[in-house]
Formats: sequence, C-alpha cells, structure tokens
Amino acid sequence: MYQYDVIDREFLTDRSNEFRHQVTRRLAGDLTEDQFKPLRLMNGLYLQLHAYMLRVAIPYGSLNSRQARRLAWVARTYDKGYGHMTTRQNVQFNWIKLKDAPDILDALAEVDLHAIQTSGNCIRNTTADPYAGATAEEIDDPRVWSEVIRQWSTLHPEFSFLPRKFKIAITGALTDRAAVKVHDIGLILRRARDGSLGFEVIVGGGQGRTPYVGPTIKHHLPAGSLLSYLEAVLRVYNRHGRRDNIYKARIKILVAALGAEEFGRQVEEEWAKIDQGRADLGDVELARIRGAFAQTPFETLPARSEAFEAAKAASPSLARFARNNVKPHKKPGYAIVEVSLKAVGQTPGDATADQLDVAADLAERYSLDDLRVTHAQNLVLPHVKLDDLPAVHAALEAAGLATANIDLISDIIACPGLDYCALANARAIPIAQDIAKTFADPDRAETIGELKIKISGCINACGHHHVAHIGILGVDKKGEEFYQLSLGGSGAEDASIGKILGPALPADRVAPAIDTLVDTYLAARQGEERFLDTYRRVGLEPFKEAVYAQAD
Amino acid sequence: MPKLIKLSGAEAQWADDAFVHVADEDAIPEAGDVILSLTRFQAEGDTLLSSNSRRVGVRIEPAEEVEALAYDLPRLSVVALAFPKYRDGRAYTSARLLRERFAYQGEVRAVGDVLQEQAGFMVRCGFDAFEPNDGATPEAWTKAANRFRHVYQRAVDARPIAADERAQAREGAL
Amino acid sequence: MKAVTANRLIDGEVVFWKEGAWVDGFGDAQLFDDEQGEQVEAAVAAGKAAPTVIVDPYPIDLVTVEGLGLAPVSYRERIRALGPTNELLHGKQAEGGAVVEAIRHASGAARSTGRVDLIRRK
Repeated sequence: MYQYDVIDREFLTDRSNEFRHQVTRRLAGDLTEDQFKPLRLMNGLYLQLHAYMLRVAIPYGSLNSRQARRLAWVARTYDKGYGHMTTRQNVQFNWIKLKDAPDILDALAEVDLHAIQTSGNCIRNTTADPYAGATAEEIDDPRVWSEVIRQWSTLHPEFSFLPRKFKIAITGALTDRAAVKVHDIGLILRRARDGSLGFEVIVGGGQGRTPYVGPTIKHHLPAGSLLSYLEAVLRVYNRHGRRDNIYKARIKILVAALGAEEFGRQVEEEWAKIDQGRADLGDVELARIRGAFAQTPFETLPARSEAFEAAKAASPSLARFARNNVKPHKKPGYAIVEVSLKAVGQTPGDATADQLDVAADLAERYSLDDLRVTHAQNLVLPHVKLDDLPAVHAALEAAGLATANIDLISDIIACPGLDYCALANARAIPIAQDIAKTFADPDRAETIGELKIKISGCINACGHHHVAHIGILGVDKKGEEFYQLSLGGSGAEDASIGKILGPALPADRVAPAIDTLVDTYLAARQGEERFLDTYRRVGLEPFKEAVYAQAD
Repeated sequence: MPKLIKLSGAEAQWADDAFVHVADEDAIPEAGDVILSLTRFQAEGDTLLSSNSRRVGVRIEPAEEVEALAYDLPRLSVVALAFPKYRDGRAYTSARLLRERFAYQGEVRAVGDVLQEQAGFMVRCGFDAFEPNDGATPEAWTKAANRFRHVYQRAVDARPIAADERAQAREGAL
Repeated sequence: MKAVTANRLIDGEVVFWKEGAWVDGFGDAQLFDDEQGEQVEAAVAAGKAAPTVIVDPYPIDLVTVEGLGLAPVSYRERIRALGPTNELLHGKQAEGGAVVEAIRHASGAARSTGRVDLIRRK
C-alpha cells in the first residue's frame, strides 16, 4: 500500500494540532457550538444519540496490519471495544468523548490514519474496488488514482465549502464493487483502442431522497488529465449547484436539471480554460505515487494447491467457505478472501477489537500485510496463498469471522439507524438481525443464491436501500417504526434504482415478508437466475401480490 | 479611519481602509473611495471613474459572476467578494478566477461572514484583504493562514505543492 | 409530564435536568407537570446559558407505563435514555433496574413527537 512520506506525515500532525486547538477553544467557550460544529465535522466528529461518533477515513478501503491494530486499540481504549465499517469504507467509533478526540487523532496520525473530510460539504474519502491489485479483471490499479485524488482534495482551498458533500468512487474492473454509478463522480478505468489509459467519467449519481444512476459525461478522459477535469467538474458545481435547499444541493440535482449533455458541455468549456500544465500532476509525480505503493512480492506458485483441495474435501465448512468467500486472484496459487462481518445475530459491519486484531494478524502473516474494507461492510484479505487457506479459515472460525455468506441473503448492509444515529427515523440493525435469523440455514441461503438486502434507517440512504435487490427503508409512521420495501435495485455494474413494493410494514412483518418474496422468487426462477434477474424478467406484480395478499 | 487586515507576503497586518461600502439605497458620497454593488457599478461606474478623483471598488455577491467585470478590472482598485454565510464557498472560485483567468492585480477583499478558520483557504485562492467578523487579529490571521507546512494542490499563491517539494528533495539527493 | 434533556459537551453523554444540575440517569430527572411550563422553559434557558457544559437542551414528553413508572413518549428518546437496542450492556441500560424496565416496556409514539422544537442535528 501507499507509503506516507515526511510531507504526508507532517500534514497530519499539523491537522491534528489544529483540531486540538479548536477543541480547546470550544471547551473554554471561545467558540460557540454553531461555530465549532462544522470544524469538528470536518474532522469526522459527530454528536450522535449517546455520545460523539468519530468517523475515521480508510482511504480506498486499504489498511496495513499496524493500522488495523491501532483501530483495535482505539476501540478498546476509547470506545466500548468495537468499531463499525460503513458503506463508504470508513470506520466509525460510537462512544467517543470530545475531550479524547484530539488524543485519538494523534494516535491515528502515528500510523498514517486520519479523519480529515469524513464529513462536511467537501470532497469526502475516495472509495475504490476492495479487490484492487488482486483481481485479474483489473485494467489499472484504482488505488493509485484514489491516492492522487486524496492528496489533491485534502484541504482543497476552492472546494472545501461546496453546496453539499461530494463523494468519488473508482473501479479499475468491469465488475463494480465500488458502486461508482451512484456516486457524485464515478470513475471507471478503461483503455482506449490505442491502448492509452483513461477514465469513463460518470457524474450525478446518488441516493438519498432523490436517487439517480449517474450518466456518463465523458467516455475517455486521458488518465493524466484527471485532476484538471475534476477541477472543471467541481468548479461548475461549486458555482451553479443549488444552495437554497439542502435536499436539492447535491450535484445530481444540477446534472438532472441541466441534462447530462449540457452539464458535460459546461464542464468541457471550463476544462478548456484551465491551464492543464499547472492543474495536473506531472508524469514524474504520478509515477512516484504509483511507486509509493509497495510492490507486492508474489511468489510463483502452481495454480492448484493439493493441500487446499485435500482440506476442502475433508471439511464441509471449509468447502462452503471456499464456495462463498474465496474469489479468484490474478496470480496463480493465490486467492482473495472475503471476511464476513455478518454472522447471524451480529450487528452488520461491526468488528470487535479482538476481531480487528485477528484480521490484522492474518493480514500480516498471510496477505502481504494488506487488509481491505468493503462498501458492503465486510473485510478482505486480498492476497492469500491457496496453501494457506485452511489455516486462515481455521483462524477466522476461531474468531467468529468465518461466516460463509458473501453476497448471500444474510450478508445484509445496514446503517447504524436509530440505535445510534441522530438523523435516523427507525432502527435498521434489529431488522437485519431478524432477517439473518430467518435465513440462518446456510444450505437454504446457498440455494437462494446472490441476494443483496440493504437497510437504511432514514431517507439519507446510508444503508444503500435504493440499490438493493431488496431494499428496506425505515420510516416513522404515526409513532411506530415502519419499513418500506423496494425491489430490483443494484449498485453494481448493472446499476438500477429499486421500485417500492407497496405500503410500509411494521417491524415484525419485515422478515416474514422477505421470506414470502424469496419463496415467490424460487417458484418463478428459471435456470441460474439470481433474485434480481427473476425480478427483472417477471416484474413487481407477482411479488407485490404475494406479500400483500398474505397480509389481507 | 476603519481598519482591515491586509496581506503582505506571508504576514497579515492592520491597514487603514479608505473605502466606504455604499449600500444601493444610499447616495454616493461627494468624495472618497467607494465600494459599490455590481448593479450600481454598471449603472454609475463610468461617471465615477471618469472624474478620476477617487478609487472605485465593486462588491460581488456569490450568485454574481466575476466574468461580468472582465473589461472593467484594470480600472478597479478593489473587488470585494461577499460571504453572506461562511459556508457559501462560491467566492473562493470567484477569487481564483480573478487572479488566474483575468490576472487581476488589485485588491481582492473578503467581506461578510469572514472567520480565521477560512484564512488558509482564502489566502491560497488569492484574497489579500480581509474584514473578519470574529474579531481576529492579524497575528491570529497569519497563524491560521500558515498553519499547514505543506499543501497538496496548486492554487493562486506561489507555494510549492507537495509534488514540488518532493521533486526538489530528489534533485537535492542527486 | 415533561423532563428536560441535552448532551454533555465534554463527552456527549445524555443528561437530564435536575434542580439546577445535569444528571446522567433518566430516573433522576426532574419531572414537570403540565402547569409547570415556565419551569421547563427556565431549565432549557439555563442549559442554553451554559454552552460549555451541555449542547442543545430541549424538553421531552413523558408517559406513564402501566404499573412500572414513567418513560419518554418517543422511542428516539427512549433509546437515548437506555442505550442502543443491539448492545444491551452498553449505555445507561447496563445498570438495569426498575427505571430501565419501565422504559423498555413503553411502546408507541414517534421519533418526532415528544420533542418540542425538534431540530435536525448531527
């Protein structure tokens, strides 16, 4: 992964000192809460229901073992022993005290971690494919470009007070594990016919109360021109994005109002006026950043591991784990291992300090010191030798981390909801737990196949419910928590926004309704169809009828 | 005479402010330097400037585009960019465009909800005069503007960015 | 009945007004009946006048839970008074006792009811 140099480190120190100064002024009464709130938010510190919540950035979802151990240490020392992985590859601590926050940021800075721009109306942490550098599908490594953007966007003098928050995601593979089409800017690395590297640029996707799948405004942006082009997009948005209504201030509203073609034209016009020689990083610095990602010293191995095959044949649980959580790697003899944080009954995305330590140890010993966080709230060991899979599986199993359910029905995304979040209307976590228990039988889950359930506790949609195969939105209906179901969304390369199934259901009817939806799908399924495929073929009606006929 | 904070090099200092902000509904004083709204300037600016006896500045609101001043800039002593709320970041773009696109050499002044927390951003975008409303002193302003030893992206100021520093270090090592 | 609540500045802890001080437990909160509107306003004003102690004071409505005691009307406020429902040993509920049981047995009422002057906040 990217190695920070003295400049990156001094920058974090300065930032940490600035925040300590601000906290001191706040506690002394020199700053009012109104003045302080945006400052703490720009350091990822929210005041939630029970305490402060600190959101730590994990740039492009990539950690080394030292960083993961430090997160575990923060969880143990300053929190109640756990951290929560978010849908934007960040980690949140739920029980932080304001007086401790500067010490925590210092401790994080020691291992090159920070909370800069994890909130506020600025350019947020850039997210990327968690399989970066490991998947064979990859055209180029998205981490390199994410790091280029991280540096460029950090305390950007012109773009730190945008109309609204701004999120960028990058993938270098055709399979989209970064939800690039529902971000403010989505970037897909592509090669042109002449072999030159570039980006397809998607602008104006998003979720929240007006979800959009973003349109492509440029099919091939030469890779070296990335920053000048981003500057043009952000400048058009900063000048023309709405500031009169918080719900209409995201770039998606501007793009939709102008139309993608007109928006793209304005960007081109602005881009033409920018001095690209000044705005873009030169090839030398781009090469330095690429080089600062430590080389991954892969060994030359046979494609098939006899040890792994034998262990798999002897252990049904390893075999199930291999079927669901082990993904192909670009190098023969290696695999990508997904570590599910979705054990039945668990809070989706939560990892205890002990589990983080185990993941750190495994990353160090078996995965070239590399650990990833996914937007689906799981972890990834990206470079595990097939020979080591039995040992890795056993260690994960001992730590309660070997749940073999990646992309299955119990691999549910859920935001913290009203159990923690000051903005939520309803709880999300107990609904996820109910559904996971309903589908606890792993054989049945495998029979059902890929099915992505995502739950948000309010319309802000941090739980990505709009782009779920089955989405669940918590609403407050006359004093009770109710849940609105939607079907047919996808946050992947086949992105789409789900359609509302019908009237919202009370909490205790959600899991039974999911059961009904699944039965309806299994009865209608043709061949190898996923739930999403069947839904797209047969439409909403049969599902609606099944759920609401039963209700009457 | 009222004071404002002016930048000279990396240091901020108190300076006398000879300019009077004239509201649209008020009469323009007989003499003295004035800052007018864009609309007022477009209507009366020529007359005022042709008398040649005083300096004129224009105040630009966030929704107004600095492009409207393109042909007048050489005649203007001050462009005051308004921050009705400090969260409204449009004036940062306006300042950059004035400096980078129109090579404006006069004073670019931040007025309105101007806080020391914004000092670094403002200086980097080309502002060189400030009317802070949080009681900030020039010392506090200087400190806030120079809090970070490194910057990552090119802006209006001449600060070397991280990439330049790295290149220099490499050359030094050779 | 009403009580007045806020979060403590230094650690974010949920606190309740009690005769001039801010206390941690809902069970210790000062209770105001419907005739004591002025006292509620005075408690909120006292909170606003102490910005280095607490953040965002506001009154909440309470209901009687049959045979158990009082609880906040809104489930948002009940979760604030207890702790998260996914971690039953975290937050105020860890102590257990009659007050916690009463709040756990309350039902109904919206997030948006029971908080006078609801302001969205982070």
